[in-house]
Amino acid sequence: MADSDELSTRQGQVQVYFTTNSIDIELPEGKRQLLVPTDVRRYGLSQILNSESMLDTPAPIPFDFLINGTFLRTTLDEYLTANGLSSETTLNLQYVRSLIPPLYEASF
Amino acid sequence: STHLDSTTVSLTSAAEARQQWTHYETITRDLSLSLTEQLRLILAPTLATKMRGDYRTGKRLNIKRIIPYIASQYKRDKIWMRRSVPSKRSYQILLAVDDSKSMLESGSSSLAFETLVMISKSLSMLEVGEICVVGFGEKVKVAHDFETPFSSDAGPKIFQNFGFDQSRTDVTRLVRESIALFRTARQKASSSPTDLWQLQLIISDGVCDSSEHDSIRRLLRTAIEERIMMVFVIVDDVRNKKKGESVLDLKEAKFVKDEILFGSGGC
Ligand SMILES: [Mg+2]
Repeated sequence: MADSDELSTRQGQVQVYFTTNSIDIELPEGKRQLLVPTDVRRYGLSQILNSESMLDTPAPIPFDFLINGTFLRTTLDEYLTANGLSSETTLNLQYVRSLIPPLYEASF
Repeated sequence: STHLDSTTVSLTSAAEARQQWTHYETITRDLSLSLTEQLRLILAPTLATKMRGDYRTGKRLNIKRIIPYIASQYKRDKIWMRRSVPSKRSYQILLAVDDSKSMLESGSSSLAFETLVMISKSLSMLEVGEICVVGFGEKVKVAHDFETPFSSDAGPKIFQNFGFDQSRTDVTRLVRESIALFRTARQKASSSPTDLWQLQLIISDGVCDSSEHDSIRRLLRTAIEERIMMVFVIVDDVRNKKKGESVLDLKEAKFVKDEILFGSGGC
């Protein structure tokens, strides 16, 4: 059995529970719990929420995510590590419409 | 069930463990008895110990046949009995209980304990053979080995090994190490290898990484080749859950080449 192989291809997952205070973008009850890869950041989570299987928004809404009152600025994996948590924990993700202006990256 | 969950975390004293075991024994007593009756049929006796039959040769004389034997001028000579009826069970059963943190979060830890107590009591009442109990998560911990008889103080001792605080759920590792435990147990078994049946029950909330599926499948093939039967039992406290929170409803989102794919998650 290729142990090292198994370890290197193992991509972590964590259970999340999506909540929001905005009724207009609330997920139906059966869709709030989801297993997501631990290497996602705000952008990936926003993509997941906007997808057909979730909110199915006609035009993508950029979302920000709050865990325990603070905005997620790292990957979920980094968040877990920084807070001494493991992927056994279900993360409560509160999503809000993103208010942050697009990041200035470069001009050509 | 919240108060039960919090007591399982800090299992310290033997007295506490004993108290807990008694509690779970009490609440599962009826279920345990009816399970014993069902298992009596499912786990059929495998070892022949009873003498029976009318044979020309055998192990013990059938006294009832002696007088007809003499009276028939020694013609009715099927006077011997042999061990031919299976009457004893000779199973090696491994109960693996998920000891990972998610068990507490999903409220499955007390259900897992109920299941463990109910099954192990039934199996020992049935004198099924040898019972081994392990806890798994990041690592596999043997809480009760095959060789130790399942006496009345075995249960509380087993409980002391559980904290539901392991920070991973490595099912691949569990299956791999279980196969190794079974191999050793088969070598040490007193009954002949052909009479020996090996069975594993994995009791878990079913929340595990889907990337493990392939490696688990490979190991399961090995298990089947070695005549080990593995059963995955999912404990899910649906009474206290909202719609979509059961592991059976759990979906996963994956990124494959920048595309999001949705599938069913868990084990
Ligand atoms: Mg777990």
